[in-house]
Amino acid sequence: MKEEIIIAGFGGQGVLSMGKILAYSGLMDDKEVTWMPSYGPEQRGGTANVTVILSDEKISSPVLDKYDIVIALNQQSLDKFGPRVKTGGILIYDTNGIHKHPERQDIKVYPIDAMEATLEIGNSKAYNMVVMGALLEAMPYKLPMENVIKGLKKSLPERHHKLIPLNEQAIEKGRTLI
Amino acid sequence: MKEEVRLMKGNEAIAHAAIRYGCDGYFGYPITPQSEVLETLEELMPWETTGMVVLQAESEVAAINMIYGAASTGKAVMTSSSSPGVSLKQEGISYMAGASLPALVLNVMRGGPGLGTIQPSQADYFQATKGGGHGDYRLIVLAPSTVQEMVDFVGLGFDLAFKYRNPAMILADGIVGQMMEKVVLPEQRPRRTEDEIREQCPWAANGRKNLRKRNVITSLELESSKMEEINNMLQARYSEIEKNETRWEEIGVENADYLMVAFGSVARICDKARELAAEKGIKVGIIRPITLWPFPTEAVAKVAMGKKGVLVVELNAGQMIEDVRLSVHDSLPVEHFGRMGGIIPSPEEVVNALVEKIIKK
Repeated sequence: MKEEIIIAGFGGQGVLSMGKILAYSGLMDDKEVTWMPSYGPEQRGGTANVTVILSDEKISSPVLDKYDIVIALNQQSLDKFGPRVKTGGILIYDTNGIHKHPERQDIKVYPIDAMEATLEIGNSKAYNMVVMGALLEAMPYKLPMENVIKGLKKSLPERHHKLIPLNEQAIEKGRTLI
Repeated sequence: MKEEVRLMKGNEAIAHAAIRYGCDGYFGYPITPQSEVLETLEELMPWETTGMVVLQAESEVAAINMIYGAASTGKAVMTSSSSPGVSLKQEGISYMAGASLPALVLNVMRGGPGLGTIQPSQADYFQATKGGGHGDYRLIVLAPSTVQEMVDFVGLGFDLAFKYRNPAMILADGIVGQMMEKVVLPEQRPRRTEDEIREQCPWAANGRKNLRKRNVITSLELESSKMEEINNMLQARYSEIEKNETRWEEIGVENADYLMVAFGSVARICDKARELAAEKGIKVGIIRPITLWPFPTEAVAKVAMGKKGVLVVELNAGQMIEDVRLSVHDSLPVEHFGRMGGIIPSPEEVVNALVEKIIKK
C-alpha cells in the first residue's frame, strides 16, 4: 500500500491541519508517513498545499511530480495539480468558485460541494474535516475510522478534544459526498 | 519504557533531541525555515526540567559568541540558524575552531545568495565544508535526510564535537526542517555535572580547583612558530577525523550502470528517481554522503569504478560535484544537475537529467 496525496487550497482553509490529521491517522494505523508543507509567504491569502504520503514501506522522496490523489480546493490548485494526477488516480475538488472544470477521462473525478455540506452541519470550521471525509471514502486504502479518531486526538491540543465529535460528524458528512 | 513513535517536523525534532541529549544551552535568533527550533524549546521549557538554558539572543552574532563563551566552560551548547544567519556566525565558528571548542551549529539552508528566499536550498555546501570563516579549519559536517536523522545527528554531532574538541555542524535544508515524519527520541540523558565536566574536559575554563594550571581559551597566538604548531595540531586532528568518522550510505549501487551522488533530502528525491528509472530499464545506484566533511572520497571512488557515468544532484549550481570529481578524477564522466533559488526538482526531472546529461552522451 502506498498513497501519494496532495491537498491544495487557500491559506486558512485548514489544508495543512487536514494533512496533519491524515498523517497522524496513518501513523496510528502503523504506516510510514511523510507530511511536507508548502511554507512561507504563499500561505498568506495565497495558495497553501501539503503533500502527505502513507505507505507500508520506507518513503523515499517527500517531493513528487505526480500523485495518486489530488484534492483541490480552489481554481488555482485545480489548474496546477489536476494535470498531475496519475492515470487511474483520483481527483477530488470543491466546486465552489470553480469556473473551469477538469476534463480528464483517465482518472476518477469527484466534484464535491464541501462548503454546502459544512454549512449543513452548522460549523464552518469543520470544512477541512468534511473534505477529509470525502478523501477517506474515495481513497482505495481504507483507513479505519478508529485510527482516524486516534489521529485527531494526537494532532489536536487537549483543550480542543471536546470538538472531536463535531469533527467525526463532519467526516461522516464528507463521506456522503462521494 | 517503550519509546513512543511520534510525528514531528525536523526542526521540532532538533529541539526535543537537544533536551534529551542533556544539552546545557541553546542560543539562537529566529529565521525561516528553522524558527521552530527556538519556538519548540521555548514551549518545552527545559530550564524547568533538565536545567537547560534557552535564550533568544539579540542577533546571530551574539548567539554564536554566547556559544563560544559557554563552550569554553565545557558545556554542551548549540545554536541554529538558516543561511543568511549562518553567514553572520562565521567569525565565531572560525574562532571556536581555532580555540578547539566543541559545539553544535545547525544550518537549515534556504536559497541565497544574500537574503535570498525562504525556500529550501543546499547552496551552503562550500561554506560548511570548505571554510566559511577564515583560516585553515574544518567543521565536522553531518547531512540528515530524514527527521529521524535530525534527531540522531544532534547526539552524534555533540559526541563527535567533544571527542575531537571541534565544532560540528548539522547541514540540513528547508525540506527536512519543515516536513513531518515518524521519530523515536532517545532516552533522556542527564546533563553533565561540574565534576564530570572537570574530568571529561580538563581543558575547560570552569574554575580552578586544587590550584591546577590556569586554562586559557583563545584562538590568538602572535608567535608564528607557536601558531604553526597549533595549525599542525589541528591538521593532525582533521586527519584523525577523516580516518575514523567518514560516513555514507549506498543505495542499490551493485549491478547499477550509473551512479547518482546526492546528500540530505535530495538523496531521497534521487531514490524515487532511481525507482522511476528502473521502470524504464535504467539501472542507477545512489551514494549519499552523510558526513560532507570528511567527504567519503574513497567510497565514492570505489562505488564509481566500472560505472558508465555519475550524476551529482544538488539544490545549488554545483558544489559537492567538486569533491566527487576529486574522488573519481577523470575515470568517468561526472555531470551536475541542480535547481536553485528554492526550487526543488521532482524525481522525474532527475531521471530526465540523468538521460540527457549522462546516458545520451
